[in-house]
Amino acid sequence: MSSVNGAVPTTIIVAGLALAGYALLMTALNRRVGFVLLAALGVLEILLLVLVGLIVARLVGGGRPASLATLIGYLIAMPIVPVVAGFWGAIERSRWGPAVYAAAGVVAAVLMVRLHEIWPAIRV
Amino acid sequence: MATRPDSTKTGPGRLLVAVYGLFALSASARAGVQIATKFSHAPVAYLLSAFAGVVYILATVTLANGSQTARRIAVVSCSVELAGVLAVGTWSLVDRATFPDATVWSGYGSGYGFVPLVLPVFGLLWLRRWSRRAGARRTIAPSERDMAR
Repeated sequence: MSSVNGAVPTTIIVAGLALAGYALLMTALNRRVGFVLLAALGVLEILLLVLVGLIVARLVGGGRPASLATLIGYLIAMPIVPVVAGFWGAIERSRWGPAVYAAAGVVAAVLMVRLHEIWPAIRV
Repeated sequence: MATRPDSTKTGPGRLLVAVYGLFALSASARAGVQIATKFSHAPVAYLLSAFAGVVYILATVTLANGSQTARRIAVVSCSVELAGVLAVGTWSLVDRATFPDATVWSGYGSGYGFVPLVLPVFGLLWLRRWSRRAGARRTIAPSERDMAR
């Protein structure tokens, strides 16, 4: 049984923080959500979907965390947050649209760290 | 597409509603899992956690709505939220037996970077700005009508 690849979680944390940093820069520069922010969010979303796939594969293989209910909650929430935040921030006409993307990036990184704490088999 | 009028959900409110929405989801889900799987372990703490989730949901919906009625409900919701994080925060520190597991308001929201502590303050300040704006509009409106005649 192979462990979840530590590269994907690490990349998620880096991508989330990078998205947050760039989004905060756009907020400071008084810019609306643009293509680059959308693309960065899209990359983060793809990484999260890959992560969910890897974790589901491990669960199917028989692995179990201490709290399965909590893990499933994270598996549902982590891919949904960027999508909802993406729409919510994109329809904002001001600098506060990117601020929403910054929040989404921070949340993705934090949830990734918490996920590792919930199930240490997911290496960071 | 016609531009929508500004309300509590535009501008900085966009970020505020987003953060409230994240906490609504997080607190409710966490409370739900705790109550469903190990309620007897810490019933008081988990029920307070569920209450916090409801308050966050109410604040999110009313701030996103933006009408005058919704704003009034939001003020109550954020006030209850502020009182709650202070009360539960204090309680969780002096009575650790009742709070063996962390909840969203435990330790003044320390498990969430103290965001639960500052969030209602921002919410109330934002709502106050809007009630002032609405009040100013009410005094301007009669003279606009006069000019239209």
